[in-house]
Amino acid sequence: MTDRDDVGQEREKKAEFEAEALVHVDSLYGLALRLTGGDASRAEDLVQEALLKAYRAWEDFQLGTNCRAWLMTILRNTFINDFRRQQRRPQTVDFEDVADRSVFAEVKDLDPAGEFFDRIIGEEVINAIDELPDEFRIAVVLSDLEGLSYQEVAEIMEIPVGTVKSRLFRARKRLQGRLYAYAREMGYIS
Amino acid sequence: MSDREMISCEQAVERVYEFLDGELDAETMEQVREHIEVCKRCYPYFNFERIFLDHIRSKGLRSERSERLEARIRDALSDL
Repeated sequence: MTDRDDVGQEREKKAEFEAEALVHVDSLYGLALRLTGGDASRAEDLVQEALLKAYRAWEDFQLGTNCRAWLMTILRNTFINDFRRQQRRPQTVDFEDVADRSVFAEVKDLDPAGEFFDRIIGEEVINAIDELPDEFRIAVVLSDLEGLSYQEVAEIMEIPVGTVKSRLFRARKRLQGRLYAYAREMGYIS
Repeated sequence: MSDREMISCEQAVERVYEFLDGELDAETMEQVREHIEVCKRCYPYFNFERIFLDHIRSKGLRSERSERLEARIRDALSDL
């Protein structure tokens, strides 16, 4: 094959990649931001790394299959690998401040159907997710935002399914507590 | 309702997220469903937790625009 053929092929590959993959950059960045807890610079690096990996593996991607899902998986795996590498010692997750008292017990007479949630803006939900400790946040992002099963989350995070359950439980209770506190502050519930 | 033994409120409540996440086996799923269908105390609680999860799920993930990032990636690609 001549050099000119190579150049032509490369150009074609790039055009195809831009049309199929680069159009998902906003979704990828959204996921990267949540995984990193809102760290824009880390999230940008992560998206770039994932997209370059995808470009190198572009021959393996079957056109017509779900490109967005494929890219999301690459991004997620890239993030988790970095995350694991950076963890020199097991993170000690602070379990102390998790109040057992359920938000439901507080609101059941006033707002049992949780109507106050509707008034909470997306920004506040995102802040609450970003503020979770890493281990909790990642479980919530993978399970609640990406819709993965407990088993899938366990495999990605390399933890037992039971640990996924307890992290999700605690993370959700924290989120709930935080959103409830916000709703009270804003006067959405008295 | 089947002749299955009814589970207690405590047993139902401790499975709330597994139930809402569809992570229980079919038999336990059915037991919890039967419990909350008839339990005046548990039904509103399960409903509340479901609304909460829907809320997180619908508002938590969104696309984010970053012109700078797209330009960066195009640059990186053209260097390849």
